Amino acid sequence: MPGWQTFYHDLNDKNFEIISIAQDTGGAKDAAPWITAAKPDYTALIDDKHLVTQLYNMVNVPTAVWINEKGMIVRPNEVAYVDNRYKAMHGIDAGPYLDAIRDWVANGDRSVFVMNEQEVKERLKPPSPERSMADAEFGLAEYLHKNGKSEDAIGHFKEAQRLDPDNWNYKRQAWALSDAEKNYGTSFMKEVQKLNGKPYYAPRKLPDAKKQPK
Amino acid sequence: MLRMLVCIAIASLLAAAASSADRGRAAVIYDGVSTEVTASSEPTKDLWVTMQDLKRATGFVVKPQGVCRDELCFPLPAKRKAEFISKRGAVTWFNLTAFAALVKQPVARDVKNGVWYFGKREDERGGYLASLEAPDFTLPDINGKTHSLRDYRGKKVLLITWASW
Repeated sequence: MPGWQTFYHDLNDKNFEIISIAQDTGGAKDAAPWITAAKPDYTALIDDKHLVTQLYNMVNVPTAVWINEKGMIVRPNEVAYVDNRYKAMHGIDAGPYLDAIRDWVANGDRSVFVMNEQEVKERLKPPSPERSMADAEFGLAEYLHKNGKSEDAIGHFKEAQRLDPDNWNYKRQAWALSDAEKNYGTSFMKEVQKLNGKPYYAPRKLPDAKKQPK
Repeated sequence: MLRMLVCIAIASLLAAAASSADRGRAAVIYDGVSTEVTASSEPTKDLWVTMQDLKRATGFVVKPQGVCRDELCFPLPAKRKAEFISKRGAVTWFNLTAFAALVKQPVARDVKNGVWYFGKREDERGGYLASLEAPDFTLPDINGKTHSLRDYRGKKVLLITWASW
């Protein structure tokens, strides 16, 4: 978050806003210390029901969406790191993405990084029936967890993970809410090691920045 | 002996009452909001609720044209009405899980705690894929003040999700 504050501050464009949204079942208790420490001038919200994850069919964090002045999606879900702190783990270089945002802020819909409707539609997929059911199981698990039934929540978190196995939000959130080794027999680090170098983010596809604006 | 029989009878009555109470209560989570309802104690895998609870928990009411909330109406198949509506004595019951299946709405259930979670109906899922209009939401900041995406029309918005975990 401090990285995004610097980026936002340096851009200093009154027609550009960052809305960052914490996907945290624990709500302010878990997310607020990070927000307080980052002192963002941009909009920082807390989503304790993973509503945005579900609305936008997301499967991981950090995930970004570009929305233009008319409220239309011009770049859908993609991985969005602001720095290279964890690059050794996921191999994604933050730099080209930050350059792409700067280009968009400067050139608007003429930016080469803005997709046309067809390109956006090709990247967006409707949620599968399994994903929709996973969302319901996850919602039930969150409800039980928040109402003092954490033990009973575990089976429903597991069911959500089974139904939508590529959804890292549903795995990592559930693991973070309890003793992952004891209750799920795994951990984030173990799962990453199992991948043996296979990426756990959908590959980012940015066009050549040297192309002229449209 | 008589006293013992009376005790057994009272204990049985209490147990029956408790069991009936357990069967008769349920928590319905609909549109993310939890409502305590009276559930039919008929042994069934479905959730039958009273017409009053249907309205309290979901906002839907049964009308001649279908199951409706404001402008939204889902007609019930004429030949299958008995699957959805059942009058027993003075009470009319509505099968909320059969309705969910009709409108392609996922339902997750926790039997032990009597909780039913109703997810997004098919008509609520992925509606933006045709228009590409970013789905709106309203969420709080750390001070509890709410913000909606639509408040930022006229600006470019970089929406970023993150998490503490």
